[in-house]
Amino acid sequence: MKIRWMILFFPAVSVIALSLLVQHHAARAAAPQGALAAASVANAASVAPGPLTIPDTTLAINSDKPMSQRVVHYEIDAKYDAAQHAVNATEVLTYRNLTGQALDHFPFHLYQNAFQPNSTFVREAKVAGNRDTGYDKWEAKEYGSEDIKSLEAVGQGDLTSQIQYIQPDDGNKDDKTVVDVHLPKPVAPGDYVQFKIAFQTKFPETQARSGWKRDFVLGGQWFPKVGVWWHGAWNCHQYHAMTEFFADFGVYDVKLTVPQYEVVGASGIKVGEVSNPDSTKTVTYHGDDIHDFAWTASPRYKVKEDGVFQGQMGPVHMRILMQPAHWSQAERHEKILRESLEHFENWYGPYPYKTITLVDPEPDSAAGGMEYPTFITGDSSWFMPDGLYLPEVVVEHEFGHQYWYGMVATNEFEDAWMDEGINSYTEVKVLDSILGKNTSIMNLAGATVGERELQRLGYIRVADLDPIAEKAYDYYSYGSYGGITYGKTACVLLTLESIVGEDTMAKAMRTYFMKYRFTHPTKEDFLKTIEEVSGKDLRWYFNQAIYGSQVMDYEVRKIESFPVNWYVEKKDAGKKGDKDTVYRSSVWLQRKGDFVMPVDVEVKFENGEKVREIWDGASRWTKFTYERKSKVESAEIDPDHKIVIDRNDFNNSYTDEANGKPARKLENYWQFMTQWIGQALAWWAV
Amino acid sequence: MSENKGLLSSGWSMVARNKRYIFWFYVLNVALARFGATAFSNQVHEILDHSLHANRLVQGFDVSVLVEMFMRPEFGPTSASVGSAAGFALLFLFATALFLPGVLQGYASTYRLPREDFFRACGRNLWRFVRLLIVAFIVFLIVGIPLFGLHGVLERKAAESTNELLLPEVQFAGLAVIFLVMAALRIWFDLAQADVVLSDQRAVRKSIGTAFRHTWKNLGRLLASYVVITIFAAAVLVAGLFVWMKFVPAASVVGAIVVGQLTLLLLLIPRFWQRGVVVTYYLQHMVAPIAVQSFTPAPVVLPVVSEPVAVPIVPSAPPEPQAS
Repeated sequence: MKIRWMILFFPAVSVIALSLLVQHHAARAAAPQGALAAASVANAASVAPGPLTIPDTTLAINSDKPMSQRVVHYEIDAKYDAAQHAVNATEVLTYRNLTGQALDHFPFHLYQNAFQPNSTFVREAKVAGNRDTGYDKWEAKEYGSEDIKSLEAVGQGDLTSQIQYIQPDDGNKDDKTVVDVHLPKPVAPGDYVQFKIAFQTKFPETQARSGWKRDFVLGGQWFPKVGVWWHGAWNCHQYHAMTEFFADFGVYDVKLTVPQYEVVGASGIKVGEVSNPDSTKTVTYHGDDIHDFAWTASPRYKVKEDGVFQGQMGPVHMRILMQPAHWSQAERHEKILRESLEHFENWYGPYPYKTITLVDPEPDSAAGGMEYPTFITGDSSWFMPDGLYLPEVVVEHEFGHQYWYGMVATNEFEDAWMDEGINSYTEVKVLDSILGKNTSIMNLAGATVGERELQRLGYIRVADLDPIAEKAYDYYSYGSYGGITYGKTACVLLTLESIVGEDTMAKAMRTYFMKYRFTHPTKEDFLKTIEEVSGKDLRWYFNQAIYGSQVMDYEVRKIESFPVNWYVEKKDAGKKGDKDTVYRSSVWLQRKGDFVMPVDVEVKFENGEKVREIWDGASRWTKFTYERKSKVESAEIDPDHKIVIDRNDFNNSYTDEANGKPARKLENYWQFMTQWIGQALAWWAV
Repeated sequence: MSENKGLLSSGWSMVARNKRYIFWFYVLNVALARFGATAFSNQVHEILDHSLHANRLVQGFDVSVLVEMFMRPEFGPTSASVGSAAGFALLFLFATALFLPGVLQGYASTYRLPREDFFRACGRNLWRFVRLLIVAFIVFLIVGIPLFGLHGVLERKAAESTNELLLPEVQFAGLAVIFLVMAALRIWFDLAQADVVLSDQRAVRKSIGTAFRHTWKNLGRLLASYVVITIFAAAVLVAGLFVWMKFVPAASVVGAIVVGQLTLLLLLIPRFWQRGVVVTYYLQHMVAPIAVQSFTPAPVVLPVVSEPVAVPIVPSAPPEPQAS
C-alpha cells in the first residue's frame, strides 16, 4: 500500500514540480522582454503618452493630410541682432523615433562652426578650393559660430555638460560642426524625445550661401539640426568645403524677431506678424513636410507677391524679393519661376507647397544660387541684357532643387550627384524647352551658348578625375566636384536618353519622383527605377558612367578612297562628273577612351548617298569598307548628336576635303582683336 | 569753340591731304597682325578643317565650340597664340614710334613731302622719340599709379554702399576723370613730339618743357579737341560693330572681314586727326617766329656835280634772321 501510494505520490509531485518549474522558466523567459520593455518605456525620455507628438498640420501644403513621414518638429524662437549679425534663440525639437531601435545618443549639425580657421571646411577649402573664397588670408569677418548655450532633454534633465564635439569623417579635433548628445535614458522605437536648446549663432560675411553682407542677412544652416538615422546608423557628417546637407522631414514653426525696418522672407508660409515695443517685430512662419528652414532680411527688398501659379494640387503663391536696382527684372524672375513650376509639374509631378519665395540676394554677396525648402535665392546684377539668361538659369536650377533635394531628399554629403546632377539634367531639359536648345544661357549679338554644352564643358575639364558615385568630400578638388556632380551627371543622363529613349527617360524621372518624394532614396533606388521603367539591363552603362571614371572618346581616325581598278589608267578618274569609276572606300574608327558603348556612324558619299552603321566599340578600332561609284565624303560618329559624354566632339567626324571656313572665321576675329589692340596701344603710348 | 573748330578743321585738312599715311599705317597694322595671328591660325586649322562639329561656328557662333577648341590639348597653350599676337601688337606700337616723325613732318609741309624727306625725318628723330617715349612712360606711371590707386579706393568705398548703382557710377566717373588726365598727358607729349620734329630740337627736355607750358596754357581748347575726336573714334567702333553684327550674315566670312577691316581702317583716322590738331597748334602757336629786322638803307649822299655820274649802289645784305 505504501509502495502503491509512493508510486502515485512521486510521479504526481514530480509532475507538479516540473510543471511549476516550467511555468517559472517560462515566466522568467518571458520576463526580460516585458520587464525591459516596461523599464524602457518607464525610463525613456519624454515617453510618448501624453502631449509629445509631431503635428499633422497641413497649413503650408495643398494637401489635407501630411505628405511625408514626419520625424521632427522644430519650434524656434529667434531674435536677430542686426548690429552683431547674430541670432539668439531657443529651439524645441521634438523627435519621433522611427528607427526601429532604441536611440541613446543624438548627433546635431552646428554648421556655422565651419567658418573658423581650423575647421575641416576651411582646411579643405584652402587645399581643394571653394566656391566663394580660397582663404588666402583669414579675416575676422569670415568667422562664424554656432554655440549651444544649454541643452535639455525633457524628462532627462540638463545635458549641456554631456555634449561633445565629434568628428566622424576626418578626426579633426578642431572641427566643431557636429556635436553628439548622449541620453541617460534611451528613446524606445516609436517613442518621442524632446530637446530644449538655447543657442547663439554668429553669421560670417556671406560664405557658402549663408551670412550677412552690408545690412542683408541670409539665415541658412543656422540652428542645431539633428542628423538622419539612415541605413541603421546616424548619418551626421561634418561640414566640408564641398558638401551640402541632409535632414529629416517634419514641421517647422519659427518666430523671427527682427528690427522693425527689415523686410523678411523665409521657408514655409507666414502665419503672423506683431510689432514689439522695442522697435522690433516678430514674424512667424510655419512649414509642413520640409526638412530645413532658411530666412532672409534686408531693409531694401522690393517685394512682388501678386503672382499665383495654379498648380495641380492648388494655388502656389510666388513671393519675389528683389534688390531695388533689379526691380525692372522682377517680371523676368517671376516668368522663369512660373515656367519652371509649370514644366516640373507637367514632367515630374505636382508641387505641393502653397508658396515659393524667390530671393534676389545682396549684390556681391556669396548668397546667390541656393536652395532651401520653398525658399530659393537667385543671382543677378544691375546690368543684365535681355539675351543673357543668367538669372533664368539660376532661378530654374534652384527651383529644380525643390524636387531634387527638397522633396526627393537624397543625402547631399554622400550622393551629391543625386541632387545637383539630376537637377542639372532636368535644368537642361527645362531650359532647352523654355529658351531654346542652343541658346538657353546666351543669345546675344549673334553669339549663343546652350545649357547642355555648358554642362558638358564643365565635365570634360575633369573627365578622368573622379567617378560620379563619390562622396562629395572625397572629390579631387572643388573643380572636379562641380564638373562631375553637375556636369558629368547631366551628360550621363542626357546620353542615357539615347539608350532608353527620351520618352522612357521622362517616364522614369516622373516615376522616380513620385515614388521617392518625401523620402531619402539611394543611388540604387534611382538607377533601378530607370532599369525598371525602361525594361533594360543598364548595368554595363551605370558601371562605367556612374560607378566608374571611364572616359569616352571616339574618333573617326581616317577615311580613304581609291579606284578598285587603280592599276588601270583612266583619264577622268577622281574628277567631278566621273560616275563610272568604282571606288573602294574605307572608314577607320578608333575608341581612344576606355568607355565602351555602341555608337551610330554615318558615312556620306560624294553622290549624296548616306549609310548608317552601328559599331559596338568593343575593340579598339574598326573599319567599314564600301565599294561604290562614289568616294566617301565624310564619316561621323553619333550623327544625331545624342551622346553628350564624348570628351572630344571635334574628332567624332572627318571630312575628306578640308573646309577652312570655320577656321577663317575665327582667324578673322583674332586678327581684328590683334589689330585693334595694336592700335589702342599705339594710341596711348606714342 | 571757333578756335576749336579751327584746330579740328585744320587738323582734319592735314589728314585729308595726307591720306597715304593712314593707308600705309593700315597696311603695317594688317601685316603685323597677320604675322601675330599665324600661331592661332595654324592651331585652329589643325582642329577645325576636317571636323563637321566646326560647322557650328559658321552657322551662327556657338561660343561653347570655341571654348571646347581652346580646351583641346592639340590646340596647345593659349599663351602661344596670345603671346604672339601681343608681340606683334607691340611691334605696331614701335613701328608707329618709328614712322611718326615723318608723318608730323608731312603734316607741317605745305607740299607733298618727298619719300626721302619722310624717312630722313624718321631717322633723324628716332633716338629723340625713344627718349620721349621713356619720359612719357615714366610720367604716365607717376600720374597713373596714384590715379588708379585712388580709383581703386573709391571703388572699394562705393562697393560698401547699400546703393548698388553707386559702384558703377563711381567706376564710370573715375574712368572718365582718368581718361581726361591721360588725354592731357597725351596732348603734352604729342606737342613735345611735334616740337622735337618740326623744330629739329635735339634737346628733348626743352621740347617737353615748351609743350608742357603750352598744354597748361591751352588745356581746355586742346583737351576739347581731343575729346571730340575720341568720341568720334568710339562712334566709329560702335557703328562698325553694329553693322558687323546686324547686317553681316553669320556664315559670311568675307563680309565679316570687309566690315572688320573697314572699321579698323576708319579707327586709324582719329589718332591721325589728333596729330593734325597738334601740328596745327604747333604751327599757330609754337613755331619760333622769324624776327625780321627792318632794313633802312642809309641815305646816299651824292656830291653835287654838274654832270650826273652813275654811282654803283651795293646794298648790304639783310642780317640773318635770329630766333627771339
